[in-house]
Amino acid sequence: MDLPGFDIRYTYVTDISYLRQWIQSPGMLKWFPMTEEKEVEDALQCWIGFSRWSCSITATVNHIPCGIGTLFLMPYKKVAHHCLFKLIVDPHQQKKGIGTAMIKNLKHLAKTYFHLEMISTEVFEGNSIIPLLKKNGFDEIFRQEKFVKTDEGYKARIFLETKL
Amino acid sequence: MIEIRPAVPEEAPYLTKWLTDPAILRWFPMTDAREIDDAVKIWLGYSKFQSCFTAYVDGVAVGMSTLYLQPYKKFSHQCLFAIIVDEKYRNQGVGKALLERMMEAAKNQFKIEILHLEVYEGNPAIRLYERMGFKEFGRQPKFIKMGDEYLDKIMMQKDLTHGRT
Repeated sequence: MDLPGFDIRYTYVTDISYLRQWIQSPGMLKWFPMTEEKEVEDALQCWIGFSRWSCSITATVNHIPCGIGTLFLMPYKKVAHHCLFKLIVDPHQQKKGIGTAMIKNLKHLAKTYFHLEMISTEVFEGNSIIPLLKKNGFDEIFRQEKFVKTDEGYKARIFLETKL
Repeated sequence: MIEIRPAVPEEAPYLTKWLTDPAILRWFPMTDAREIDDAVKIWLGYSKFQSCFTAYVDGVAVGMSTLYLQPYKKFSHQCLFAIIVDEKYRNQGVGKALLERMMEAAKNQFKIEILHLEVYEGNPAIRLYERMGFKEFGRQPKFIKMGDEYLDKIMMQKDLTHGRT
């Protein structure tokens, strides 16, 4: 990672202000389930809440957050060997290798600290993160057509997974 | 005579009792009493939306189903559901009656276009879902781990906008 001042640390609850700012930037919400303010706030509180389990990491440049990746650990023992994750990078800091660095660190955290056997994520069709995920070892496991419905029409949910 | 009623939170002990049966619990993600208690609270929490149903035979509760209505507008046209039938009342039409009532409510009351479910490989209920028009669209390998044994999660769905429910 050649980005000067780049670092990765555990997420603080106060990082929610950056998460909120990135999610609400133009064009970002179309890749997330939320539409209106209340949905956004509920989802962000849930997301940042996982930081208390030390399963969330924040990328920084010169100590300023530029990305957050979180393992959504499963609540039941029978399914505790895997989990979904979410990742977001500051729209102004994309295409600099931050996403790749975050994925590598999330995989490491999942494997060495939480002893997970696989991690997965769900994205909507057309999301530009899909090639990045595939480049980093994720395979499409299934897709559910018409999962998302907006004024623009339907979109599929694509489920990608990597073995650790 | 099978009667389907809207579920109420006071019926939680029935759900807890069925889920505590190891033969039934095998097909659910929960393992212990705390996990079952959490799942029952979530399940019956949907009763406030009238999206939970209880099946009765001769006044005895014998099964339940619930629509996990989506919290997001973008997803509100589709819905995941769960169903459970008391082991002693299997193969007597209870599951079919619950599914029919739930599909009718999904389509007409909640305006749901696509109903989907998650089931683990080997579950005999898969045959019922197929008979009711659900089709597999995906499978997540090794979703469940019980000791050294893994089970795939199979996902099935039915488009309620096509034909009769």
